[in-house]
Amino acid sequence: MEMFLDFFANTGFGLADYRNFIMIGIGIIFIYLGIAKHYEPLLLVPIGFGILLGNIPVFKGLGLSIYEPNSVLHYLYFGVTKGIYPPLVFMGIGAMTDFSTLLARPVLMLLGAAAQTGIFITFLGALALGFAPNEAASIGIIGGADGPTAIFLTAKLAQELIGPIAVAAYSYMALVPVIQPPIMRLLTTRKERLIRMEEPRTVSKREKMIFPIIAVLLCCFIAPAALPLLGLLFLGNLLKEAVVTERLAQAARTSVIDTVTILLGMTVGASTQADVFLTGKSIGIFALGAVSFGIATAAGLIFAKIMNLFLKTRINPLLGAAGVSAVPDSARVVQMVGQAEDPENFLLMHAMAPNISGVIGSAVGAGILWSFMVG
Amino acid sequence: MTGLEAIFYHNGFAMAAVGITIVFTALVSLSLIISQLHRALFVWDNRRSYIKKALRLFSEPKPPESEPVVKYFDNIYESARQFNLLIRATGEPFSLPELIRTAETRGIAHAHSTVSHLIAAGLIVGDGRGYFRWNREAYEQLLRQEPK
Repeated sequence: MEMFLDFFANTGFGLADYRNFIMIGIGIIFIYLGIAKHYEPLLLVPIGFGILLGNIPVFKGLGLSIYEPNSVLHYLYFGVTKGIYPPLVFMGIGAMTDFSTLLARPVLMLLGAAAQTGIFITFLGALALGFAPNEAASIGIIGGADGPTAIFLTAKLAQELIGPIAVAAYSYMALVPVIQPPIMRLLTTRKERLIRMEEPRTVSKREKMIFPIIAVLLCCFIAPAALPLLGLLFLGNLLKEAVVTERLAQAARTSVIDTVTILLGMTVGASTQADVFLTGKSIGIFALGAVSFGIATAAGLIFAKIMNLFLKTRINPLLGAAGVSAVPDSARVVQMVGQAEDPENFLLMHAMAPNISGVIGSAVGAGILWSFMVG
Repeated sequence: MTGLEAIFYHNGFAMAAVGITIVFTALVSLSLIISQLHRALFVWDNRRSYIKKALRLFSEPKPPESEPVVKYFDNIYESARQFNLLIRATGEPFSLPELIRTAETRGIAHAHSTVSHLIAAGLIVGDGRGYFRWNREAYEQLLRQEPK
């Protein structure tokens, strides 16, 4: 009987407290949202399952917990803490992305820049709430609505916050169809939402091949700290556009990004152990993340309206909401809100331009914050 | 430390302002460059014709090779006066070789082409017997048209 009680005391049931069950509940909700509601299933399912793994209470010293140096999960988590996975995800994104719409209407790139205002306003908000500058920078980047970028910057600046920040970033990315439409309707008139966009010009293959080279050189000369993310983003894109490297592009956009997404999602989920995750800071991070995301969306919309004061051909201000870099969800939301007013107005293709420039802008923003904090 | 005090203490406003400015700078520069990319490629594709045009700007204009150099053309009035005097001195009718030879010995430049041009202008006309005459009426009409 004594042996049985000893054994029981070392099982999950014996070691668990209520917080573990709360986190397991959150993990199950993530899995449910991914599978049943199709909210970012490729991210929410591995993260949700990782939350389950991370919150099974284990006996300390056996090398099982993600935070124990000799555990398998710890080695897999190495790719997160050292910032290895996010650039590999970016390479896959680059190999999947077609920059044609951006090249056809470069002016839409400004919307991607405007939406990054959310990052810096939230940074100020986090400072005002008493977060240290490195933590505030990591929280601010949630406004970029880019999971890999948020994880990359947090891994560099505030490793202890990776769990809450990653979960917040991916949660808000998954909730783009819920968060953005009310802000979009609030800040635009029906007349503005009905604006149709001009047909973009045809972009040549050579332009698409030259673009990643120019973009990586220019952006990384301006913000060198964005090199790991933008370097691999544009490498992936060059592999795609060069045609002769199709095999590599195929690997980057399938096996590489899929493998890394599984490892990234699972380990980030596992890092949300109840004792680390359920703190006052996490609540603050979630609240600020929501504010950041809202400000980013609003900034893009307002900037689009300001641009219309100067442009000869007006643009649909809904495109501004796609300036956050949740690719391609925010572009899809723009299409959805636009079509709610006019079913024959197709904005998706046009919204991809600010959406992709948002990815570039948030990576540049992350690089700037990183260099500020270490400088 | 919280509130504005924390922001000022950590130099937050300056970092935010510089940060957003750099993001805008990067994306605005990139958009400016890529907006001109297709034009740059068009120029590259047609570089030979652009180089030719550029070289033409820096070199002196040359008349087309197919047309003869007719320096006297602008001064047909002067040529007509010279040959009017010459023919009056040598007498009519005259043969063209003789007229040209006389003109050359008197130092008239480009005698052959000038005579050819005077024939084209109707100032030297054939007399139907293998010789030529000076058309005085055409000469006087030409002088009346001379710009003052």
